Amino acid sequence: MTAIASDQDTGQKKAPKIQISVLSWLRENLFSTWYNVVFTVIGIYIVYAVITALWDWGFVNAVWEAKDRRDCFNINKARGQPPGACWAGVTTWMTNFMYGRYPRTELWRIDLGGILLAIWMAPIWLPRVKGKIIIAFSVVFLYPFLAGYLFSGGERGVFMQVMVSAAIVMLTAIVVHSLISLITGRTLPALLVSALGLAALSEKMQRNALLALAALAFALVFWWQSGWLVPEVNWVNWGGLFLTLVISGIGIAFALPGGITLALGRRSKLPVVRVLSTGFIEIFRSVPLITVLFMATTMFPLFLPEGFILNKLVQVIVAVCLFNACYMAETVRAGLQAIPKGQYEAAHAMGLGYWQMMGFVVMPQALKYMIPNIVGSFIGLLKDTTLVSIIGLFDFLSMLRAVSQDVPWRGLHYEPIMFGAVVFFILCASMSKYSRHLEIKLGGGANR
Amino acid sequence: MVEMTEQTSQRERLESAASTEVIIELAGVNKWFGEFHVLRDINLSVHRGERIVVCGPSGSGKSTLIRCINRLEEHQEGLIAVDGVTLDKNLKHIDQIRSEVGMVFQSFNLFPHLTVLENLTLAPIWVRKMPKAEAEEIAMQYLERVKIPEQADKYPGQMSGGQQQRVAIARALCMSPKIMLFDEPTSALDPEMIKEVLDVMIELAGTGMTMLVVTHEMGFAKTVANRVIFMDGGEIVEQNEPEEFFNNPESDRTKLFLSQILLH
Repeated sequence: MTAIASDQDTGQKKAPKIQISVLSWLRENLFSTWYNVVFTVIGIYIVYAVITALWDWGFVNAVWEAKDRRDCFNINKARGQPPGACWAGVTTWMTNFMYGRYPRTELWRIDLGGILLAIWMAPIWLPRVKGKIIIAFSVVFLYPFLAGYLFSGGERGVFMQVMVSAAIVMLTAIVVHSLISLITGRTLPALLVSALGLAALSEKMQRNALLALAALAFALVFWWQSGWLVPEVNWVNWGGLFLTLVISGIGIAFALPGGITLALGRRSKLPVVRVLSTGFIEIFRSVPLITVLFMATTMFPLFLPEGFILNKLVQVIVAVCLFNACYMAETVRAGLQAIPKGQYEAAHAMGLGYWQMMGFVVMPQALKYMIPNIVGSFIGLLKDTTLVSIIGLFDFLSMLRAVSQDVPWRGLHYEPIMFGAVVFFILCASMSKYSRHLEIKLGGGANR
Repeated sequence: MVEMTEQTSQRERLESAASTEVIIELAGVNKWFGEFHVLRDINLSVHRGERIVVCGPSGSGKSTLIRCINRLEEHQEGLIAVDGVTLDKNLKHIDQIRSEVGMVFQSFNLFPHLTVLENLTLAPIWVRKMPKAEAEEIAMQYLERVKIPEQADKYPGQMSGGQQQRVAIARALCMSPKIMLFDEPTSALDPEMIKEVLDVMIELAGTGMTMLVVTHEMGFAKTVANRVIFMDGGEIVEQNEPEEFFNNPESDRTKLFLSQILLH
C-alpha cells in the first residue's frame, strides 16, 4: 500500500460570507407558513393598538400644566380631545415624590448628600486611580456619618463630630488623589512623600510622617466644623424617593458583608457558630418581609434594655438589613460551593490560614459566580422597601398614592403610579445592566 | 535498548543515596471513609533524601496515603510523624507540617484569578511574611528552574497543561519544603507534555529533595526512585528497589499488576 502523507500545512482559508437580506429574514421568520402569517398579522395589530392607545393617552391628549384635576378635564374639552393623562398632578407633586415632607428650605442638604456620594464613589470607576478598595471601604464606613448628619442635622456629640471630620478629610484626600492620579498617574501618598522631601526615609518613617499629616488635617477640620450647624429635621419628615433610597442603600451596603459573615458561619466547623447562623438564616427566610417589619416595629422595643429607645426608621432599617443579609447568605454559600475542592486543598497544602484562603483564593473566584444573584437581590431589596409604606413610613410609593387623597387631585390614580413605575424601571434596569457589565468584565459564567 | 542505557546512566548520576535519617514515619495507620476501610495497617518509613514511587491499581489508597501526610485526609488510627512532629488534631502541628511539605496535584489547582507570579508569591508573602520584592525574586528563580520564566505575568488559563503543572511545582517549591508530595502529577496531561514535567521532577530529585510520587510512569520510577511501593486494596503489598521490583516481583498481585501495565 502506498502511504498517504502530506508534509505541508495548507494554511487556513477564509470562511465564506453569508448574506442575509431583510426580506429573506422576514420571509423565513415571520411569514414562512400560512398560520405564521396569521399570527404575525394579529401580533402586529395588538402591538399597534396598545402603542397608539398609550401614545394618545400619555402624550397627544396629555395635559402638562393645570391647577387641578377638573382643570385638566376642561383643558382637554377646550382642545376638543378625549380625556388624556393629567401629568400636571405629577409635576406639582414632584417635590413630595422626591423628598417627602422634608422642609423645602433644606432640600439642598439632600442634594448635597447625593452629590457627595457620587463624587466619593466616582474614582472606583476611573481606570488610573489606585487604592479602589480603600475608597470602597471608606464609602461604606465614613459616608453614612457625613450623610446622616447632613440629613438629620441638629446638635452633634463628640463622636459624631469626630466621624464627620474624618469623613470630610477622607473625601478631600480621595478627590485630590483621584485628580493627581488622572493627571500625573501617581498616588497621593507618593506625591506627598516627594513633595515634602521624605523619599530618603525608610518606609516605616514615611508612613508615620503621612499619618502625622493626616492627623494634622483632621485636627484642622475638626476645629473648623465644630462651629458649623444645620437645623434639625426630624426623621418623621423624611419621605419620598429619598427615604426609599436611604433604606435600600443602607440595606444594600449591609447585606453583602452581613451575608458573607452568615454564609461563612453556616459552613463553619465550630458547632455553636454553625447552629446560630443556620437558625438565623432559616428563621428570616421563612417569614415574609412585611411580617418582619411588623415584628420589628412592635416587638423590637421589648428586647432592648430599659430607656433605650429606637425610632421607627432605625427599627425598619435594622429589619431590612437582617432580612437581606440572610438571603444574601444563601447566595454567597452557593458561590462558595461552586469553587472546586482542589482550590481549598491547594490553599491548605500551601499553609494558608482560613481567612487568608477565603480572602485571597476563594472569595475572589466565588464573587463573580454570585453577581447575577447578588444584583438580583439588590433589585428585589429596592422594590421591597415599598412595604414600609404599610407601617407608616412615607416612602416613594406612599407619596405616589397620597396624590389621589389630595383635594385638588382627587381620583388621580394612574398618572402617579405610571410615573413611579417608570422611576423604578429606570433604577432597576440600570442595576441590571450594570450587573451584566460586571459579569462580562470579570469573565465569570458563560458570558452569553 | 537505547532507553535502558539512558535510564541507567541517569540512575548512576542520581545514586546520591538517601540518608538513614527517618523524615516521615507511618506506623499502624488505618483510615476509613465511612464504613470503607481504605488504608489497612500501613507501616512506612521514609528517609531524608529518599525518592519513593507509589504505584497500584485505582482505588488502592495510594492518593489517600500521601494526602494523609499533609492532613488533607484524616487518619483514624495509627501514628504519622513528619520531621519529628506528630500529626494529630493540634492545629499548630498541622500548620508546622504543612509548611515543610509541598504538594503537587493531578489537576494542578493553580489559582485562576491570579497571575503566575502572584500564584507563586502568595504563600511566601502571607505565610512566611516575606517582603514582596524578595518573594518575587525567589519566584523568578524557581520559574527559571522549571524553564518558563517568560510566563510570569500570564494567567493559568492561558498556558498549556504541561506549563501549568510546572508552575504548580514551582509554586510548591517557593515555600522551600523539605518534602515534596506528587499526586499523579502527569495523569491529566497530554502525552507530549508528560516529558517536560518529568524532566523537572528528575532535576528536582537530583538536588536531594525527599519525594513521594504517586504515578503510573514506570520509566520515571526506574530512573529516579530509590524504592517502589506497590499498593493494592489499601495495603502495602510489596516494596523494593526498582531494578528488583520490575524484574523479580515476588507477590502474585504485583505480578498481575505489572503484566497489565505497559512498561515503557
